[in-house]
Amino acid sequence: MAAAYFVDEPGLRAFVDALAGSRRVVAPVAKRGKFEFGELSSANELRLDYDVTILPPKKVFFPPVQPIVRFSEDEVSSCTCAVDTVLLGVHFYDVKAIDQLDYLMRENNADWDYLCQREATTIVASNIQAVSPRAFWDSVGTNVEPQGHDAFLTKIGDGYVLETRTEKGEALVSYGSFREAMPAEVEEARAVNDAVMGTCPERLEYTTDEIAEHIRDSFGDEKLWDELAERCFSCGSCNTVCPTCYCFDVIDSWNLDQKSGTRTRYWDSCLTREFAAVTGAGGSKENFREHHSSRFRHRFMRKTTYLNEKLGGPACVGCGRCSQACTADIADPVRVINTIMERTS
Amino acid sequence: MSQDHTNDHECQCGHESLFLPRQAKILHASQPTASEKHFTLQMIDGQPFEFEPGQILEVGVMGYGEIPIGIASSPTRPGTFDIVVRTVGRVTTAINTKDVGDTLTVRGPLGHGFPIDKLRGKDVLIVAGGIGLCPTRSLIQYIMDNREDFGRLVLFYGARDPLQLLFTEDRVQWRASKVVEYHETVDRADVHWTGNVGVIPTLFQKVQIAPETRVVICGPPVMFRYVIAELDAIGISRENVYVDLERRMKCGVGKCGHCQINDKYVCIDGPVFTYAEIESLEEAI
Repeated sequence: MAAAYFVDEPGLRAFVDALAGSRRVVAPVAKRGKFEFGELSSANELRLDYDVTILPPKKVFFPPVQPIVRFSEDEVSSCTCAVDTVLLGVHFYDVKAIDQLDYLMRENNADWDYLCQREATTIVASNIQAVSPRAFWDSVGTNVEPQGHDAFLTKIGDGYVLETRTEKGEALVSYGSFREAMPAEVEEARAVNDAVMGTCPERLEYTTDEIAEHIRDSFGDEKLWDELAERCFSCGSCNTVCPTCYCFDVIDSWNLDQKSGTRTRYWDSCLTREFAAVTGAGGSKENFREHHSSRFRHRFMRKTTYLNEKLGGPACVGCGRCSQACTADIADPVRVINTIMERTS
Repeated sequence: MSQDHTNDHECQCGHESLFLPRQAKILHASQPTASEKHFTLQMIDGQPFEFEPGQILEVGVMGYGEIPIGIASSPTRPGTFDIVVRTVGRVTTAINTKDVGDTLTVRGPLGHGFPIDKLRGKDVLIVAGGIGLCPTRSLIQYIMDNREDFGRLVLFYGARDPLQLLFTEDRVQWRASKVVEYHETVDRADVHWTGNVGVIPTLFQKVQIAPETRVVICGPPVMFRYVIAELDAIGISRENVYVDLERRMKCGVGKCGHCQINDKYVCIDGPVFTYAEIESLEEAI
């Protein structure tokens, strides 16, 4: 199953065009000076030289807005339906995030509104050609290897090495004019991927376990968390761009006939004010995380400690999206984690 | 040129959405208080509906949404099941406009209920405040229907005032019953009230409770601390105290995140926890 192939630059374009002609291909494309995962109609749009995308690729299987149940006067029906998709050009940190979502959506109660599209998707990871300004993926959860990809594409010299990892990945090879890669080319691909490690502009100075222990122990230090979260606007931008966040809301809407409609799930944010609020007697509210610092703290507990045992590492992959998205520039996990570590060590 | 890869066909994977509800028909509806409605429901699909006392349902009306709610009747009385819904918001208002013959959507049962195995053979004290009597009624009925399997059954029930008291018929029966020691109180009496006045913890002065008793608590968060203080004074281990927690549960299946208490999901790890389990969780009470 595992094999390595080589294709030159024009060959890669022909391969991508052939793939896009056969099914939906979602890959990094330019968007107003930044990048996003978008549906490719031609290889000309493909930007494998991206640094990071605005939203993570989880949106392919976990869309920001997803119909889950349709209803009419007499019946309710499921909306799970999948489109054969190739998700191309995923950086390793986003593959690690997808691995986490795969686990969390499957555990306890398998969420087929996620898993159907996940199973219908072939993931081709790619090497990091440009490093984003707030990235720290080379110093977070370094013991966790990316798993859930079907092939890995690495740019070397004047071409690309495609290493297939699964049958689904191998099945893509027939769409291009690949030849078997020479050992030196495979070696060069490895060197390219090794060389990018250590190039991130931000860095965690502590191990996953050290961080988990200290952050968990800091829970009761309200002064510390108030200070770290002081300028939080509760806007939820950090959640919205996070590749490992998966909280959602479920909201019903009616069609114009006022008889039928849709139950839809929307990405939700644990930083927003009402997230943990329940309505009580007489319309009173009980908010179980009323203060913005307790919501800010909850997010960091989730990312650094709560899920570690299940996931084998932290629920943060170091993409740096939250750091870039945060209006007040306080969400940066490197800032928060290093501050707590320095204060408590 | 953009290509249309959309797929209008139903998914062939054969898996069902976690969010697809069943339909239940309202067989009986009554309004015990100004804001609460008591429904007796039956699944329309005719398939079995099995649950344990203390488990929850996501009950809803399509077009409005769902709410998490404890089942208010016991599985020992199969065929139908009860819920009591308090009108507090959009969804509960939509549910409470429904009447006999209408349908509600139901998903579940969800979560872990009361640990019947741990209660069996033991004295059981149930402390229910306000609408907290609804999920515990499931356990009360269960114990009464399997009476010889359990020791002494003591029930404390408190409400804000006499008009808020639920399950009038049940209370008449419990008062007369030899198999349950029933004590009720109201925070504020009215002119017709001749019973106890005071918050629930005051009932502890009226009844002798043994330290080995297993205790179940369900009610508003403010009640917990005072009840726990009474239990501590008796010497009841916090391992033997079970609390039924309320949170916002959107999905009920451990995904959506709304009901999290630290690293626990109330919907799948609970809603029933031992007090020992949750006292180490900073966000629990």
